[in-house]
Amino acid sequence: MKRVVLAICGLAIVAVSLWARGVEESGTEESITLTIAGRDGAYGEAMEFATALYREQNPNVEFEILTLSGSALFEQTVVDLRSGAGSYDVILIDDPNAPQYMAAGWLADLDEMYAQRGVSLDSDFIGPAVGVGRFPAGDGTLYALPHVGNVALFAYRTDLFEEYGLAPPDRWEQVAAAAEVLAQNEPEVTPVLFRGSKGNPIVTGFLPILWAFGGDVLNAEGEVVLDSPESLAALEFFLRLSRFAPEGVANYQSAQVRDALYNGSGAIAIEVWPGWIANINNPDESAVVDQMQIRAHPGQVRGSSPMIGIWLAAIPESSRNKDAAFDFLTFLTSEETQRRIAREVGVPPTRVSVHQDPELQEMYFWYPAQLDGLQNGVARPRTDRWSEIESNLGEYLQLALIGEISAREAIAQADEQIRDIVD
Amino acid sequence: MRLHRIHPGIDQASIRRHPARLLRAAAIAVLLILTLLPLYWIVVTSLKTAREVILPIPTFFPRTVTVENYRAVLDAGVLRNFANSLITAGLSTVISIVLGFTGAYALTRYRFPLRFNTLFLVWVLVVKILPPMVLSVPLYELFSSAGLLNRLSGLALVYQVYTLPYALWILVGFLKGVPKELEEAAQIDGAGPGATLVRIILPLSAGGVTATAIFSAIMAWDEFLFALLFLRRPSMLTLPLRIANYITEYETEWGRLMAIGVLSSIPLLLLTNFTYKRLSEGFTASLK
Amino acid sequence: MVAPTVGVVAFLTVYPFVTVFSNSLFEYDYIAGTRTFVALDNYRSIVSDPQFVRSVVNTTLFVALSTSSQTIAGLVLALLYYERFRGRRIATTITAFPMMLSTMVVSAAWRTLFHFDIGPLNVILQRIGLGRVGWLINPDIALLSIVVVDLWQWTPFVFIMLQAALRTIPREYLEAARIDGNGTIGVVSRIVVPLLGPHLLTVALLRTIDTFRLFAKVYALTGGGPGNATETISYYIYREAYRYFNLGRAGAASVLAFGVIALVAAVYIPRLLKEHP
Repeated sequence: MKRVVLAICGLAIVAVSLWARGVEESGTEESITLTIAGRDGAYGEAMEFATALYREQNPNVEFEILTLSGSALFEQTVVDLRSGAGSYDVILIDDPNAPQYMAAGWLADLDEMYAQRGVSLDSDFIGPAVGVGRFPAGDGTLYALPHVGNVALFAYRTDLFEEYGLAPPDRWEQVAAAAEVLAQNEPEVTPVLFRGSKGNPIVTGFLPILWAFGGDVLNAEGEVVLDSPESLAALEFFLRLSRFAPEGVANYQSAQVRDALYNGSGAIAIEVWPGWIANINNPDESAVVDQMQIRAHPGQVRGSSPMIGIWLAAIPESSRNKDAAFDFLTFLTSEETQRRIAREVGVPPTRVSVHQDPELQEMYFWYPAQLDGLQNGVARPRTDRWSEIESNLGEYLQLALIGEISAREAIAQADEQIRDIVD
Repeated sequence: MRLHRIHPGIDQASIRRHPARLLRAAAIAVLLILTLLPLYWIVVTSLKTAREVILPIPTFFPRTVTVENYRAVLDAGVLRNFANSLITAGLSTVISIVLGFTGAYALTRYRFPLRFNTLFLVWVLVVKILPPMVLSVPLYELFSSAGLLNRLSGLALVYQVYTLPYALWILVGFLKGVPKELEEAAQIDGAGPGATLVRIILPLSAGGVTATAIFSAIMAWDEFLFALLFLRRPSMLTLPLRIANYITEYETEWGRLMAIGVLSSIPLLLLTNFTYKRLSEGFTASLK
Repeated sequence: MVAPTVGVVAFLTVYPFVTVFSNSLFEYDYIAGTRTFVALDNYRSIVSDPQFVRSVVNTTLFVALSTSSQTIAGLVLALLYYERFRGRRIATTITAFPMMLSTMVVSAAWRTLFHFDIGPLNVILQRIGLGRVGWLINPDIALLSIVVVDLWQWTPFVFIMLQAALRTIPREYLEAARIDGNGTIGVVSRIVVPLLGPHLLTVALLRTIDTFRLFAKVYALTGGGPGNATETISYYIYREAYRYFNLGRAGAASVLAFGVIALVAAVYIPRLLKEHP
């Protein structure tokens, strides 16, 4: 009993002193705390790095950065913005989800904020990357600035492909053939890697295949067109490829794909994002220096259509520090900051000039392919229901992946569910 | 296994050699190992280097023992989360005790009309049984409009969904056992109702109050769902949330994950014996 | 004096409960803020939603498997510790450790133990010639793995309760049974279990209530997957409410969950009322 009382007293003292320290820290005059809802992994590091740079010039601004997985970020920001609780000053948004935030009127109008300051958006940003920050997309009001310029790419091991006389794949069919050859000859290497986790990861892995096979989720009019022979062929092909994937692929996230690429245990990644592979030619971290080709996806019945995935940075309407947030946002997306983030952390930029920086092109040989993909790529459908569609499609894709239902059932049932969502 | 020694006359040595006793000892040993191995794994992983953690064949003893993980998580501000958890648990416990004690006292001393006493206690039990997820949506809205999100005090308040039913039920049980004559004697001596409560009743139900306090604190320390929904600011996160973020953020940074695990478990492990005794006494009492 | 307590309870439970019930009768899109009265449509639609059905099945399975395995394991432990032996105190303390850890710590530890590629369990299995097991990634096994984690964490609780209950049985009863020629199993099944009956039921009810809520472990271990092999009712409500923002459907699922747990309450509450007369 005595020990318990002692333990409780001890803990109480610890708590009070920690608390007091916290109060002291936040007690500085005129200091502003900006709360950022951001991503985890390399994106989190990039944000950490950028805020540290910013604080060198603006010591009165403190940052609190929340690092979340993609789905947790979405859930937490939507609930907070909808309730107007105003927890965040800057939030990151995955571009396919942007229409939902913008249609609801949750984001501050950046055109207006630029106008108030008598400045305008500079033209160095890559067109489609800014386009998804507008509502309606392309030429509407600006609600978000492009922070990370991602485009889905395709990666394979050139040393292994050469060894077995495999041509660089231009069609998905060749990818499957190559996987077959590697499976037979390289027992230590996993032929195919992708993210099989349900929801966003498996959907983003599947979409390039779906598009290449001529299928789609929604057509240009926003109608559901998933249930088609083309989609079925795409899913059947995806399942065929998954037989060459690791056994645990249904739980793979970016970390597992990245680890397998870096340590040389994977041969082909059907979906990589530039942010993951920044150090692929760094001998300290990678076992496959100069052995990895990274380029646009193969085609099949259609040519390759690169999928862009921009991480947008926006200011919630409910933020209490909009001016400070705007200042940080312009800093975050400035040419200099992007250059330094690209160099130090490897997160891909959204500006043409940074892509054309010779030093960076030297470091990241895929920058021309990346710039090309960003300028000519396809964004995922613009609908304010995308998160729900993606979540449902992701469920059925995974059920098919783990063999609970057939490809035909998955496509038919996902189509039906998505119809319910869109109507 | 033998439940009872039937022949007290047999010499001790032969009993000790008895296969049933050996079997029991072996069974206990195996179960202890099963209990301890995951704990050992937590501690040992927290002492490994980042490189060693992801070796294809995990090591049973760390090759190099390092406190790097602890330093890293402390630098990353885990103490802040620790303090948040402590403050929330403390505050929530105080609220539970005050409301539970006064409520239980009133319920045992006064008969309210329309069988209110029983109805109220039954409703409290229903709440105790209900999955908290069921109430979370309206509670979020309620707390949001009251400006109680992102506040540890708000979290401590919402934790009453778990802890108050518990406190009420334990304390009602205890206060029923306190004889009314003592209060009457105190009142005759000129003590007011408040003084009677604090000076006479509280000391007599100290056991129940401590037990309630410990269990409320443990529940609050462990709570995840409401913390996940109600806390958005990084500086406000409690330890379980911090751990959850770590799990999804760094798939294989197990060293740091386990270091947070060790740090957050220490206060509770200190309470093991106490909890054990209270649970066992409480249950024995309710059996009588 | 009772007013603040009643006020807090009402604020935290009565109002939310009424709201949940009324939400369940509307098609309520939280994002758009639209509410349309649809009577029982939400109920109809979730009852026919295979994912909801799966979550009910999963929850039922989890509750049944966890509660029964923990009750049995707890009873075995209590019997093993029945007689005095050297080191019993320390052994008891160690046995109680897992229930003192917070659920997130337990989940994090087991997530690494279960890791498919480099988790110690699979490495050991592979060493001794058995293949690797997809603890958290095989849809047929994942739920069982969560049962194992819950078993590890909560058997100590059952153990402590039953140990206390066992002390209330006079030693003479067991002695007499022993003399009548019963073996250990006979004594346990004929004397111990019947005498402990009501206590076993109470403990099982407590575990039922707790396992029925299962959420944090699923969140940390599997996220409901693979597929929806580990999705529980709480997780389903979470998804409907906080990912799809269909508060009507979430409300309907909540009311149904309440209905199920009310059946448990019908057994549990009279017992507790009797214990605290």
